[in-house]
Amino acid sequence: MTQGEPRPLTIVSVLPELLGGNGDAENARVLAQRARWAGQPAEVIPVRSAADLPPQVDAVVVGSGTDAQLNPVRDILLGMADDLRAWATAGIPILAVGTGLELLSWGIELQDGSVVEGLGLVAGRAVPRAARATGDLVVTSKHGRLIGFENHARNFVGAEASALGTVASGIGNGAGAEGVVMGNVIGTHLHGPVLAKNPVLADHLLRAVFAARGTEYVPAERALQIDGIAKAARNQIAVRLGLATE
Amino acid sequence: MHYAPAILIGRIVRTLARMRKPGGGSAVPGLVVNKIAPGFLARTLNGFPEGLVIVTGSSGKSTITKMLVAVLRAHGKTVFTNPSTANISQGLTSALLEQASLTGHIDGDIAVLEMDEGHGAYIAGSLTPRVVTLTNVMVDQIDRFHDSEMVQAMLAKIAARATEAVVLNADDQYLQDLAAGVRSPVRVERFGVTTEVLEANPRGLGYAQTATARLPRGEGVLVTRVAGREAEISLPEGDYTVGLPARGTHYAVDAATALGAARQALGTAFRAGLAVAAISSIPAVFGRGEVVSVRGRQVEFVLVQNPASFQLNLDSLEPGTDQILVAIGSDVRDPSYFWPVTTSGLGRVLIASGSKAHEIALQLAYDDVAVDRIESDLGRALDDFLALPEPAVGLKTIIFSADGMRRTRAHLGLATNSEELS
Ligand SMILES: [Zn+2]
Repeated sequence: MTQGEPRPLTIVSVLPELLGGNGDAENARVLAQRARWAGQPAEVIPVRSAADLPPQVDAVVVGSGTDAQLNPVRDILLGMADDLRAWATAGIPILAVGTGLELLSWGIELQDGSVVEGLGLVAGRAVPRAARATGDLVVTSKHGRLIGFENHARNFVGAEASALGTVASGIGNGAGAEGVVMGNVIGTHLHGPVLAKNPVLADHLLRAVFAARGTEYVPAERALQIDGIAKAARNQIAVRLGLATE
Repeated sequence: MHYAPAILIGRIVRTLARMRKPGGGSAVPGLVVNKIAPGFLARTLNGFPEGLVIVTGSSGKSTITKMLVAVLRAHGKTVFTNPSTANISQGLTSALLEQASLTGHIDGDIAVLEMDEGHGAYIAGSLTPRVVTLTNVMVDQIDRFHDSEMVQAMLAKIAARATEAVVLNADDQYLQDLAAGVRSPVRVERFGVTTEVLEANPRGLGYAQTATARLPRGEGVLVTRVAGREAEISLPEGDYTVGLPARGTHYAVDAATALGAARQALGTAFRAGLAVAAISSIPAVFGRGEVVSVRGRQVEFVLVQNPASFQLNLDSLEPGTDQILVAIGSDVRDPSYFWPVTTSGLGRVLIASGSKAHEIALQLAYDDVAVDRIESDLGRALDDFLALPEPAVGLKTIIFSADGMRRTRAHLGLATNSEELS
């Protein structure tokens, strides 16, 4: 690395307005804040079209949007498909939530039988559910137990071999597994600020980000304090669901 | 008349419901009457000599309804209106039962109904409102309405029932799109804000999609300036200064909405000066920036109902306010959708409380807001907060969700005022 002022971390938030209704886009802020607290300057770059893409990228967040916007959002994403693929191959962390995950997959089957082609970045495809899945979602993963909220109209099939974890409570992908992992690309139905509520996942991504820069990520004291709040929030949900607390 | 038995039964059920649970069970008698005489609600609502005005949309309904009723009463009209907690059809029927004679007749020149967009779409098919007023399309709680298009479709269904006029927000693209479907002779009356007023709200006004063009002066009802609890509003009749029930652009837009609705409901009888005076005389709204005296302390209550109102209310707090309590309750099923709200302007929050205390504290922490204490027990949080000495800057400020508000009011023994809830 060069001496002096290193380039701040660049966290891309893809279509924060169209893919931010549940607060998923704010996961970019969570990564940036935890990096800053650890002494590493970071900035969140909102990307609304391929033209906004910065030359160098350290992490990417793709949030969840409405079904009415699936096609227009996919069309914008297609314009950055090559970049997303290059980043995924290079091991740059990408977090995709809800319809963000669905659009990065092979495609989305809609209730009326039509299909929205995905970008084919991760294995699997979305298929309609009889009833919407709305409620708490608890996932057992190699990072530990992940807890959040899910709200989606479709199941996710074809990613069983590379899931993020198994469902301890809730629906997830629909058949016992939840999410999909491909290298440092993580797709999940845990919507909203999943990285704030589950800092193990945030720090897993940040370790990859820092390692790519030849440094080691160590969570700041501040982050650890705030993680205590997240733990209390997770435990509250666990108690409500009759699960053991941490 | 054939409704008499149903009305009698409804009244008996209402009395029984109140004996079982004082103050509760208000939807039950309506439920019974709707079963026995399903036409009662529509027949009664459609039967007012000067018709029915419906106010619906994502937010602002209660305030606008209250303003519109005040304007109509100032014009000498006898108005039937619903307490806003009773805006589902059973509750509405119960409200009608309170006032109906045994023939199903209610005294009144005109009816003004606040309708929840979901339930409104459900019962609208049987109603023939003269005027339908559409406030805005905001993204409501995610587990209730999936998206803006769904809200727009529900509002379109209600708007399609208007026989004379649809009053709608020109700054809301979803409503502007909907206006294209309104067919002559039904009129479209628009209200909105100027570019300057919009620009004074850097995060916008919270609409799911803000229209690119502003309403030109002279067309419809236009908010041209907002300063504290006063707004300048330009009407085809002239320019007026209007007093607002609380500070903030959204109250100015509420006033413009009510004025637009009143113009259409009253026609040639509309007197702008009278209307503006009526709106200006409305007392401060509880729970949305109202200042109340509790245990010898001045306290400001701020109600947040969705991300948009959360942001608008935060942005209108006095900068540097140093005693803030935030209480988010169980009515917010998943607080994730608050995360797009930028809370950093709060600087420091003394207590995060309510059943979602940890969730909201987490968001505040990531916005670099110092949270001194997390106390899930709201009663204890309120007691300790009120016991603190007077703040150095601003008023003691309590920001709460609707559930937090109800619990706060109950704990502090403040009078119930169901009209303020929506
Ligand atoms: Zn929904």
